[in-house]
Amino acid sequence: MDEAFWGARAASIDALERELARLRRAAVAHARERGQALARASVLNLVVYAEREIHARRAARAVADLALRHPSRAIIVLGDRRRDGVLASLQLHCHVPRSDGAQPVLYEQILARVRGDFDERVASVVIPLLVPDLPVFLWWTGTPPSDGRHVDDLVTLADRLIVDSADFARADLTLPEVARLARFRVGITDLNWARLTDWRELIAQFFDVPAWRPFLNGITGIRAGFAVDMDGRDIHPSQALLLLGWLASRLAWRPVERLAPSEAGGVLFKMARSDDAAVMVRLRPRFERGLDAGDVSGVRIQAALGGESAEFVIKRAPDQRHATATAIVGGTVRAERVVPLPALGIRELLGEELTIAGNDHVYEAALATLMALA
Amino acid sequence: MIFGASGDLTARKLVPALYNLALQHLLPASFAVIGSARRAVTEDAFRTELHDAVAEFSRTRPINEEVWATFARSIHYVPTPDDSGFDELSRVLARIDGEIGANGNRLFYLATPPAAYEPIIRAIGAHDLRGATGWSRVVVEKPYGHDLESAMHLTSVIQEVFREDEVFRIDHYLGKETVQNILVLRFANSIFEPIWTRQYVDHVQITAAESIGIEERAGYYDSAGAMRDIVQNHLLQLLALVAMEPPSAFDDRSVRDEKVKVLRALRRIAPEEVGELTVRGQYGPGFIGGERVVGYGQETGVAPSSPTETYVALKCFIDNWRWEGTPFYIRTGKRLPKRSTEIAIRFRLAPHRIFTREASEGVDANELVLRIQPDEGISLTFGAKVPVQGLRIRSVNMDFGYGESFMVDAPDSYETLILDALRGDATLFTRRDEVEQQWAFVDPILAGWHAGRQELATYAAGTWGPEPAETLLARDGRTWRRP
Repeated sequence: MDEAFWGARAASIDALERELARLRRAAVAHARERGQALARASVLNLVVYAEREIHARRAARAVADLALRHPSRAIIVLGDRRRDGVLASLQLHCHVPRSDGAQPVLYEQILARVRGDFDERVASVVIPLLVPDLPVFLWWTGTPPSDGRHVDDLVTLADRLIVDSADFARADLTLPEVARLARFRVGITDLNWARLTDWRELIAQFFDVPAWRPFLNGITGIRAGFAVDMDGRDIHPSQALLLLGWLASRLAWRPVERLAPSEAGGVLFKMARSDDAAVMVRLRPRFERGLDAGDVSGVRIQAALGGESAEFVIKRAPDQRHATATAIVGGTVRAERVVPLPALGIRELLGEELTIAGNDHVYEAALATLMALA
Repeated sequence: MIFGASGDLTARKLVPALYNLALQHLLPASFAVIGSARRAVTEDAFRTELHDAVAEFSRTRPINEEVWATFARSIHYVPTPDDSGFDELSRVLARIDGEIGANGNRLFYLATPPAAYEPIIRAIGAHDLRGATGWSRVVVEKPYGHDLESAMHLTSVIQEVFREDEVFRIDHYLGKETVQNILVLRFANSIFEPIWTRQYVDHVQITAAESIGIEERAGYYDSAGAMRDIVQNHLLQLLALVAMEPPSAFDDRSVRDEKVKVLRALRRIAPEEVGELTVRGQYGPGFIGGERVVGYGQETGVAPSSPTETYVALKCFIDNWRWEGTPFYIRTGKRLPKRSTEIAIRFRLAPHRIFTREASEGVDANELVLRIQPDEGISLTFGAKVPVQGLRIRSVNMDFGYGESFMVDAPDSYETLILDALRGDATLFTRRDEVEQQWAFVDPILAGWHAGRQELATYAAGTWGPEPAETLLARDGRTWRRP
């Protein structure tokens, strides 16, 4: 069953490389018969670390879907703490050309299932498999442990670390841990941050309007809602926290205090603007049908300037594929527009993150501000 | 005529190479292999051993029994436990020569441990093993001496029997396709040579990494070390090929003249400079491919306190017009994370940066990498725009792989080199003056180490070498590549 999903099994790393070379050649020969040229077009190494088979498989499918956009060598490390020894199996995929004229691309996927006490040996499996010259992205599924030799070793190899704070059991504790991994000079990316890209754009666009721009310095309150499931047990505020971290870091707000948790798992912060005026922030969980737990469902920015008040509101439509952005100045709706705001899947988010090879300074600043809040 | 016919090299490399040449009908129509060693063994037993070796080690498998059957008939064995054996050998050579009509053309291959070179050469002379007619050549394996003096002595012994143009000092790296391709890339193309200079090249890195330890070679390796085993011959040859001036013709004399010129221009590292320009290391315990491996001192046949280096990194300069001031960093080691030999030409950054820091964060200097093993090929990295709105630049890789492009397995280097020796083409063999220049470069470094001017640093097996090697480049604001 393993081999059906993960591909042929190889006895050693050398054997695995030989098998890959053989498969590559077979794919090239096959393509030539059909009059096509097949490029071994790798643009990155993607190391996926998973401790659960289901995460590994989900990651494998996402990467396979991305092969045309980000042809890569994917090395999926599946840590299984039960038994000793290393088994590697491999799978080589060749995308069939589609009618839109896309070229067939080769990409390579390796599964390294490491068993037993693997912390100190896992890097020795990954290093020889990396394609030289290409950047290394490390996608850590689940919650990265706060320490562990395998974390240090793998992060050291990577140019960029991808996590998804939506998966973190306790984002308020884990996000600062993630921020500390920057000591390995690795660029850090959070898929949850990528989910906020559209929100950040919409918020920023309010203040591109010359008449409303001054309100940016007069913000008095932020309210953001994030989705929880119906019984409200699992609270995942990390996306909302990142949004707050972003606003605060961009506008140079200082944390003042974290007020007692508000109703039903919400959080209440008091912050100070650069002119020392207070900004009250409330992040509250809401049940929203069709949204994943933790997804931001709406943002309301309140501002006052020279006796005039304003509210800038973005709210997801009930269909969960659109949002309404409304600007209310002096009690009057001055602008309202509906924009598409699809919920992005792992594949789209990952695809976007893989285009960035350097550090995401804006994210790092948002994270740093959050750490100060915690 | 192979001396050392019961050894590992004969079984793993020489006879499989000859057999593969036979498969490709590259051998002469009439041909004989005469093996010799001290051991007494019947010709049939010898052939059976070689059959099994070819079945195991040939790059083409399974063995083609029909081809083997006729090929095996041309294999003979003469034991030479003492001097009288050479008389017998002389008679057998003369007899076979008459049978196959070889006109006395003979290629002697010294596949023995180096201590036997001298007595065998003298025996070849004393027993008139050279044919009365035709040509005679001798192929000498590495190590060719253990320092300049012993290399010169060996040459003088050989020259009692063979002229220099009859001596083929083999460096199997030179038989590799990609190594020959260095010359083709540089001198059959017009776009590379103009930028192959100090004006455009920031530095060059040459890496020969092995993931294996010392295997069964403790006896030899512990007395040689990485410097003599790899740097003195293979790495300096690669350096010469990368750095040499264009030869006027692709023949043995022109190519080797240019290589010697570069080796002569290679700035000597004096014993008192080894602390600054060299790194020597030895592997400790660690992990290779997920498996736990022992440190060098715990290997069978090695003393725990052995001072032998298994890792060498050097910073070299070539004092000539083309390369003045351009560092050549070379390194080799055992128990590194993967097996990889490559040459990387790192070009200078674009002189003026017009893109924003954010846009160009993923950009690096251009790099041309010649991969020699495994996975032979050439790749070039350059910055490209990422297809998104706005401008993001990222280094991408243009990759040429031999295997996928030509769909053939490259011939083994021994096939290439044995064939060249049979044809009398010495282009890919090392000439006397090259070997001497190589030792002249290595000797003072070894002397500096011997005098304790550079500590032996340890590195964990499965890492890319000891800390001082990183420092060697970090001091210049550079880092080693990840091969």
